[in-house]
Amino acid sequence: MSLQLVANVIVLASIYALVSTGYVLIYRVSRVLNLAHGELMMIGAYLLVSTASLFNNDPVVALALAAIFGLVMGIVVYAVLMRWLTGEAVLAAVLITIALGILLRGLSILIWTSQQFYPAATFGWKNPSVHLLPGVQVSAASLAIVVLTIVVYVGLFVFLQFTRWGIRMRAAGQNPLLAEQRGIRLHAVYAFAWGLSTFTASLAGMLLSLDSGVEYTMATIGLKAFPAALVGGLDSLLGAVIGALIVATAEILAIQYVNPLLSDVVPFVVLLIVLAIRPWGLFGSREQLDRV
Amino acid sequence: MRAPFLSFAAAIAGAGLLPVCAANAQDTYNVGITAAMTGPASATQAPVIEMLRIYFDRLNAKGGINGHKINLMIEDDQAEPSKAAANATKLVRQENVVLLINSSFSSTYGPVIAEAKRGKVPLWFAGAVCPKETHPPKPDPLLFCSTGFDFSIDIPVATKVIKETSKEPVKLGLIGIPVPISRIGVDTAEKIAAGLGMETVDKEFIPPTTADYTPFANKIKSAGANWGYAYAPWPAESKTFEALRRLGWTGHYMAYGHIQAEDELARIADPGLHVFMANSMVLEGGAVFQEIRDAAAAGKYSFPATYGTEGWLTGLILEQILTKAGWPADAEKVTAAMEKLNLDTKGIRGGPLVWTKENHLRTKQYYRFYHYDSDKKSVVRERDWLQVDVTD
Repeated sequence: MSLQLVANVIVLASIYALVSTGYVLIYRVSRVLNLAHGELMMIGAYLLVSTASLFNNDPVVALALAAIFGLVMGIVVYAVLMRWLTGEAVLAAVLITIALGILLRGLSILIWTSQQFYPAATFGWKNPSVHLLPGVQVSAASLAIVVLTIVVYVGLFVFLQFTRWGIRMRAAGQNPLLAEQRGIRLHAVYAFAWGLSTFTASLAGMLLSLDSGVEYTMATIGLKAFPAALVGGLDSLLGAVIGALIVATAEILAIQYVNPLLSDVVPFVVLLIVLAIRPWGLFGSREQLDRV
Repeated sequence: MRAPFLSFAAAIAGAGLLPVCAANAQDTYNVGITAAMTGPASATQAPVIEMLRIYFDRLNAKGGINGHKINLMIEDDQAEPSKAAANATKLVRQENVVLLINSSFSSTYGPVIAEAKRGKVPLWFAGAVCPKETHPPKPDPLLFCSTGFDFSIDIPVATKVIKETSKEPVKLGLIGIPVPISRIGVDTAEKIAAGLGMETVDKEFIPPTTADYTPFANKIKSAGANWGYAYAPWPAESKTFEALRRLGWTGHYMAYGHIQAEDELARIADPGLHVFMANSMVLEGGAVFQEIRDAAAAGKYSFPATYGTEGWLTGLILEQILTKAGWPADAEKVTAAMEKLNLDTKGIRGGPLVWTKENHLRTKQYYRFYHYDSDKKSVVRERDWLQVDVTD
């Protein structure tokens, strides 16, 4: 495999890994599979379109505002929709997320139309090529996605392992009843998990839009990242990274050596194979999956 | 008992209103539209239909055609065949439209054509791929197409211009998306290119859902292509080109100039990206383009005014058809008027748009070529109208 191919794998894996964090965070804490995650990512990108048009001379403010809105969006989704399903069947919550996805798609057309937007152009950025090694180039936005994915995963590791809220989040995921009895406010923890999930999704959407624009179909990228989360194991952040690497490698190799038409299919072929051998994913928890 | 009584009263009131609504409907030219206003094809189709609506809002405000207003019944099919079928059924059987317009993915054509034929209503493809049944010399009597692009005409022209423009032997990388019309287009380009002595070194069909175009661009670059030619929707055309450039590719690239092209050439600002198109860019100036700009501003068009040209042209065509069909119009009179279309396109295209009994596509096609000029720092015309006779 050439070095350029390796670079392509790393970029694609980073995209999938960054998007997958949202699936994992929500599932790990509340056992809900958020099937509106791709749409929430798309809305995050559109939020940047809006903030960029307001603060085109101040990209940092525009990016920060869009990221904050992304965080708030998840908390609002939990408070308005998901909170009322606490204690109900998980299937009901999953179905609600499907309805939410459809609603968000409709809203995005009404608010932003079906036009393709380029926030980078609004800022006057050119997204130049970066020479990493001789013969190896990636776009500046792609490099930013790789760096940000590393930062997000390291940050989440530190947060979940060493901070009070992170420990509460893990406790709520492992045994919600006991956690509540110990004084952990479950609704606050769940709301924060949703906020973090949409925050990371928004970051992914924003960076993708800086790389190649945003349009209505961006939501499907969320669906393509879903196999990565499942392959790794839905309740494992480390699994999401490994799953993203496996899926991205398979996809890039299929494009390069077999047939580019397979690129849409390969992630799901990998998913089927892994689930047939190990239904709870490579790093997932068997006991917890059985509950689903 | 109260609720049933209210329902009954509402039903009576509704029934009383029905004749009024029907009378109003009969006072208008009813034109049915099934279009991808949302969904994956909406980026290309919605701007066409929205500008068409603005065109007729203006015309209706001036009194309509032959003293009657035009009632555009726009139904969203989201580029899904089942929804398009339901729309066509409703428009033909319930609304009794005199003309049906389809502006969506080609996958919606089958059921819509079937319904139009059952109802003997003319069906016009506007801003979307022209099906082969509209092509001369023996088109289907009910099917017409005005869309600027058509692979059977576009591809021979584009490949010939690539051959003429290139100073060295052409190694072609072809780009499409995995839908039938794009695949046929790319395969056709490969054959024509071979006939012209050009070598196709790579063909990529890129799913529109792809998160990163770089792997596909990497293959094209690695294959040694010095020209790229894309026959795909604009996002796939432009994103592949930009991915190629980010890999340091220095070749030239030809693409069909869809409605986004004018703004996009300015954004990408690369002289190596060439587009050819049947409609003039708004930058050419002139009265019709000023009118489009004014209408877009007044009608609160959701897209840049540069996206409105195809929709405006569709409005000009429909105005002439209904004017010639007279009042009262029916599907038969409208079909007869369509077979005699001879429209002055006012500079939007290189000449008149003519439909005949034997040609429901156009008798002549014209292309202009554009690219970005680094010295002038603006999009400029590279080649003026190139005329092609459309005979079969």
